[in-house]
Amino acid sequence: MDPILVTQGLNLVFAVAVLAVLALGLAVVFGLLGVLNLAHGEFIMVGAYCAWATTAAGLPYVAAIPLAIAVCGGLGLTVERWLIRPLYRRPFDTLVATWGLSLLLRKAAEAAFGLSFRNVAMPLPGTVRVLGTDYPGYRLLLIAISAAIVGGLMLWYRRSRTGLRIRAMVGNPDLAQAVGIRATRLAAGTFAAGTCLAGLGGVMIAPLVPLQPLMGLDFVLRSFFALVIGGLGSAVGLFAGSAVIGGVDSLVSALLDATWGYFAVLVVAILFLWRRPGGLFAR
Amino acid sequence: MSMGNLTPTRRRLLAGGAAAFGAAPAILSGIARAADKDFKIGIFLPLSGPAALFGPTGRACAELAADEINKAGGILGRQVRLLPTDGGTAPAEAAKSAVRLMLEEKVDMLLGSHDSAVRGAIATTVKGKVPYVYTPVYEGGECSPNIYCLGETPDQQGGPAIGWLATERKARTYYLIGNDYGWPRKTNERARRLIADQGGSVIAEEYLPLGAPNKFEEAVTRIKAARPDVVLITLVGADNVNFNRTFAGFGLDRDIARFAFLLEENTLAGIGADASRELYACMGYFADLDWPTNRQFKAAYAAKFGDKAPALSTIGVDSFTGIKFARALVEKAKGTDARACMAASEGLRFDTVTAPAIMRGRHVDKTMFLARCQGTKFEVIKTFGFVPSGTACGA
Amino acid sequence: MSVPRLDFDDLAGGYGTTEVVHGISGAAAAGQVLCIVGRNGVGKSSLIRMLSGHLPAWRGTVRLEGRAVTDLPPAGRRRLGISYCPQERPVFDDLTVRDNLILMRRDRSLDGFAPFIGRFPVLERRLDQQAGTMSGGEKKILSFARGLAEMTPLVLLDEPSEGVQWENILHMADLIRERRAAGTTFVVVEQNLAFAERIADRYLVLDQGRVVLEGPRSAIDRAALLPRLHV
Repeated sequence: MDPILVTQGLNLVFAVAVLAVLALGLAVVFGLLGVLNLAHGEFIMVGAYCAWATTAAGLPYVAAIPLAIAVCGGLGLTVERWLIRPLYRRPFDTLVATWGLSLLLRKAAEAAFGLSFRNVAMPLPGTVRVLGTDYPGYRLLLIAISAAIVGGLMLWYRRSRTGLRIRAMVGNPDLAQAVGIRATRLAAGTFAAGTCLAGLGGVMIAPLVPLQPLMGLDFVLRSFFALVIGGLGSAVGLFAGSAVIGGVDSLVSALLDATWGYFAVLVVAILFLWRRPGGLFAR
Repeated sequence: MSMGNLTPTRRRLLAGGAAAFGAAPAILSGIARAADKDFKIGIFLPLSGPAALFGPTGRACAELAADEINKAGGILGRQVRLLPTDGGTAPAEAAKSAVRLMLEEKVDMLLGSHDSAVRGAIATTVKGKVPYVYTPVYEGGECSPNIYCLGETPDQQGGPAIGWLATERKARTYYLIGNDYGWPRKTNERARRLIADQGGSVIAEEYLPLGAPNKFEEAVTRIKAARPDVVLITLVGADNVNFNRTFAGFGLDRDIARFAFLLEENTLAGIGADASRELYACMGYFADLDWPTNRQFKAAYAAKFGDKAPALSTIGVDSFTGIKFARALVEKAKGTDARACMAASEGLRFDTVTAPAIMRGRHVDKTMFLARCQGTKFEVIKTFGFVPSGTACGA
Repeated sequence: MSVPRLDFDDLAGGYGTTEVVHGISGAAAAGQVLCIVGRNGVGKSSLIRMLSGHLPAWRGTVRLEGRAVTDLPPAGRRRLGISYCPQERPVFDDLTVRDNLILMRRDRSLDGFAPFIGRFPVLERRLDQQAGTMSGGEKKILSFARGLAEMTPLVLLDEPSEGVQWENILHMADLIRERRAAGTTFVVVEQNLAFAERIADRYLVLDQGRVVLEGPRSAIDRAALLPRLHV
């Protein structure tokens, strides 16, 4: 097979897989709690800075994972308690509140680290020979990890007791209360899970992208488009949305150039918002 | 054509008005005269927006230059006073600021380190009424009256670099990638001619939107397929970092050299040591330059601003050069009259942080440094003296 | 004197600014079934929702074993031993029948559901189907089974027989009587007089948000109730 074709194919798979992970936390929080967290990208940024802090301290890269979970989880719980909880079922207010939060997090990062770029050394340098072409090993690893995270979370959501309770809470909040599900605690945990997932996404992409306080803006838009297309709250939808957005972008970028790729993403997203606002699987 | 400075006329009118009232308290007029005596420079710096990182450096450098000039007696015996203004805004906003600086602050001069869109807006607003010194790296070609361009031009960067790559690296084929706006396209236009002059050829030229969340896997794969000797990069900021990290991630840094037109200390810090192999830059200044003049400059900078001083790079230090140039120009022209300044600028020799430079056609023949990245440092491999800008504006 | 299992005093509340329950008091002892009857829209459901915690009381108190629970949310009352089967949306439609039953069981088993599954074959047949696919009456059976299987000392049932076939209503009545014999207290909102007569120890008859008749079953006959149930 043509090695360039293989590489562009892997690029497409990579784009979809990474987008799915980056959109996952947004999907969890939006789909289950009805909160569109505009600060999602900033939690990705916080996760990426955790990766930077880990490597700067000379610790192994995997140490960034518990750090990001602790920092983003703690931030998520705090934010849920004092900002989100009073605003449930007030979508416009949560939109404004999380937008404000995103500004705050960006400014906090700017105050702590400055506007200058930082870099995180590649934890797995070099390329690997696959299907007759050299492909970056770390990107291949990310494809596998992304699939594992999304698949694992979906399995957990379907099978675990907590997953069952979350589904019960989302489907029928009054009855969930009646059977003794502590909805406030479960919602707080769900929100924090969403911010932790964003943080993990940040750790994963930190070695690949420019690291600075404004970086989160780049990720929230594509993640949002993926949700628009995939609809809310289903694993299939999340993958489908990521596949359409990541795929269209990667495919058109490969065939034409990045400007057309970006244009195609916007057109697809607008078409969906216009013709099928409920997403691909809307009834 | 009347290019006369409006300011003196206005001053006379105001003075006449004050005389007519006749009763201004002596102390007040004393203060007014003292403030009036200051040589006011309105200085546009990126205080907000995507380049805001460079604002603090530019401001500190300009202050250092003004301090040095004031200690040595000022400009035409008047103390220099800087009026920092945001140049990181939309062009229309910057134009409004320029009007305010001229009419309310009655500045003697304008200086700016910002993008070309803002420069265009300021230039059409000022219409040459006060001298306007434009300091950062840019695409060349600005010939509006009474504007003086000090920054690196594509000829000054590409000329030495492409020549060196052709002779030392036997580079023949080039792949051009940049952000989609004026500076990269005009720079590449010039680069194509420089490449042709060396007998090389351009395989492909591609642009990515500016300010969009770009990713570079697809472009890097195309470069991998095209197998050029050199990639010429006119991406800026985060895109420049992202591209170079992706490029190295795909292992292309082993065989293909990269030359970036806007690569300074901050961008290189983002690219990182594991992605900077065979990456070149050609600039008029690098912070680590081991020249006596630079050592002296850095010592003065550290003495004034201490440990917390904003990091130095060519964007930022350009404001120091700009202020020094302003003094040389106004002293030689004996004022800020447009015609006198334009005449005085031709052949004007002035000091910079590196070697002295000479103005020709309101652009500068200057010393350029070709550097190869070593980790996150620039290692100068060749120095080029008095490199012409490629733009010569007539009187 | 023993403390009643449930007692409520001067309960009032409603929706928005409209008060629909105007100060109702009552009590139920251990092993007693209190049936709340009345026409549609007289405040029966609102009253039982104030007992479960889903509708906040504007004034008055609810006590379980003498302890005030008025300020507790539904989940808190459930933890203290109050089960509740609502009239509307009584099951989790998106979950399977099995998941509806085992949702709150640590061991995630169907142990303890045998009496219900034995009596209501529809539950066993549809264990792995989504509860949303069931008919209204089948959902009520599922909700009833879930509520009773929680084995709490106090069970609140809001029209459990609505839409349920007579044969299954009789099974429900049997199960309630068995559990009553073991000491469980029930508060049942009911429109179906034949069902109510089979289970009630006491009646609380409401009209326009107030108690109009109250007393043991033996003291209130069908002739006194009928005009209160139908227009």
